[in-house]
Amino acid sequence: MWENILLGFATAMTVENLMYCFVGVFLGTFIGVLPGLGSLAAISMLLPMSFYLEPTTALILLAGIYYGGEYGGSIASILLNLPGTPSAAVTCLDGNPMAKQGRAGVALFVTAIASFVGGSVGVVALMGFGPSIAQLGLSFGPADYFALMLLGLVAAVTVGGGSLVKGLIMVVLGLLLGTAGTDVTSGEFRYTFGFLELRDGVSLVAIAMGLFGIAEVVSSVREAGTRKITEKVTMRSMMPTRADMRRTVGPMARGSSIGGFLGALPGAGTVIAAFLAYATEIRVAKDKTRFGKGAVEGVAAPESANNAAAQTAFIPTLTIGIPGSATMSIMLGALMIHGITPGPLLVTDHPTIFWGLIASFWIGNLFLLVLNIPLIGLWVKVLQFPYKYIYPVVIALICIGVFSMRTSVFDVGLVVIFGGLGYLLQRTGYSAAPLILGFVLGPMLEENLRRAMLMARGDAMRMVSDPVTGSILGLSAAMLIWAIYGGVRNVIRSRQVKDIPPGET
Amino acid sequence: MHLANLRFTVAGILAVIGISAFVIALGYEFGSARRMGPGYFPVVLSGILTLLAVSEMISAAMKPGAIAVDWRPFMAILAAVAGFAVTMALFGMIPAFFVVIGLSTLSEPRFGWVPALILAVVTSTGAWLLFSRFLGMTMPLFDWP
Repeated sequence: MWENILLGFATAMTVENLMYCFVGVFLGTFIGVLPGLGSLAAISMLLPMSFYLEPTTALILLAGIYYGGEYGGSIASILLNLPGTPSAAVTCLDGNPMAKQGRAGVALFVTAIASFVGGSVGVVALMGFGPSIAQLGLSFGPADYFALMLLGLVAAVTVGGGSLVKGLIMVVLGLLLGTAGTDVTSGEFRYTFGFLELRDGVSLVAIAMGLFGIAEVVSSVREAGTRKITEKVTMRSMMPTRADMRRTVGPMARGSSIGGFLGALPGAGTVIAAFLAYATEIRVAKDKTRFGKGAVEGVAAPESANNAAAQTAFIPTLTIGIPGSATMSIMLGALMIHGITPGPLLVTDHPTIFWGLIASFWIGNLFLLVLNIPLIGLWVKVLQFPYKYIYPVVIALICIGVFSMRTSVFDVGLVVIFGGLGYLLQRTGYSAAPLILGFVLGPMLEENLRRAMLMARGDAMRMVSDPVTGSILGLSAAMLIWAIYGGVRNVIRSRQVKDIPPGET
Repeated sequence: MHLANLRFTVAGILAVIGISAFVIALGYEFGSARRMGPGYFPVVLSGILTLLAVSEMISAAMKPGAIAVDWRPFMAILAAVAGFAVTMALFGMIPAFFVVIGLSTLSEPRFGWVPALILAVVTSTGAWLLFSRFLGMTMPLFDWP
């Protein structure tokens, strides 16, 4: 155990890896600060940069971009009250009131500290539980894998909130997009329409850039002109008072444990972690009225939960090969581009990658802390820079990034299609994250189902009757039924409200 | 500009995608539950997609509501990306950068061509330094069909 951790730090501590970790955190924060772009867009935009690197270094760079993007998103949401991600929305509840009271600096400082604490707790959990879960994963058969992936997809749709039908549409569309290309089992081409480029499947980066990059930029062009930041954030204004410090210790401890636990479960881990941590703080607080008006606990708890969950979300991704969120699926895609298949064997076959990555997670978190406190003034400047000079460059970078993936003009064409579709889907209330998750899991889901059905001789009941497979499938079914029940209940309620004659309410 | 019922239209697009995928998938070998062919999964998925999209169309038709769409940036940015693809294939990277930036700036009615030009020069120089010099990517800077 200890020698593995040492091996990890030895891998991560080379000058080259440290440099790329720094570059990743810096660029990730830069992109995350830009309105409308979050960590997912940051990873997809900078993914091509990682192709020229060793797999371990590439992953370290991507992990750095991920943290940087998350933190940059929090800066933008606290100062502008414009959450880029659902989990940042929770931070906004008290973070933005703090900014309005002239305490933006303290809010940002607490965010940085809470992220670091949460991240560190998550890294420890990843070190402690990762290998044993990988061990467990070794005993899984195709049917169990199928059931687990199904659970992840169902959780992504039901837990995130929003319309169940729309979520399911997105997952199924993602799975369907995943079938395009060469069928692994038979070698037949599916949905290639005669294009050579589609034989390897649709490019993940083209989909992600269209759905998250282009669609987000289009929707933020108009809004961005109207926002102004007036608060001055200096390093001195970031220093919290002694009372602030005392108040954040408990929330950070509770937030990290909640986040660490929830993050390891498949589905929308970080969002629920942030919400639950916030709700817990309100429950344990003596004076509940302070929340929503700039309580420092309301920033510390969700931020630590969100970051702990972000770390433990790597547990299922790395050890079983099943990503729990859209961002994790991009990371999984990046791993596979580098020829590494995440799964139980990763821990034993590629110890330098597994442990090096974990060590660099922690170093990345540390960099984030060191980088962001002195550089906060710079990030605020970036945020104040007129958006009209930023978005054309972002679009250009998306284009060159997608093109350079496979030096393919075809893929840039796909971005046009997915960008157009993505914007329309976003306007009409569809969330793109389940689509990405479905797209990445699709081929694995199909392959495992086909193998499982072959082993069960085409009898689905044999799959269900296995205790492990059956209970995971049962859990997915229960979540789906619960969500349908909730949806039906809402419809009935809204009908009842409508029946009340106007004027009485 | 408002489209009468965008929710209905988008659900309709999804239904069309579902139906077309279903028809195409019927051409692949379906196989059996035990030995699934390449067509099994696509047929089931596109079937489910069509059903879900149609149910969403029905629910959108029952509750019509106008959704605002910013058509100007939408068209400008999609045109910019498409323009990049075409120019990249024909004339190389530097002209492609000018096209993508120029078309993107049409998102706003009063962007002005001077700032657009400066932005294009700065970005293409930066991209040349980063991609060609630093990362050593091989792509034509200028080309002629």
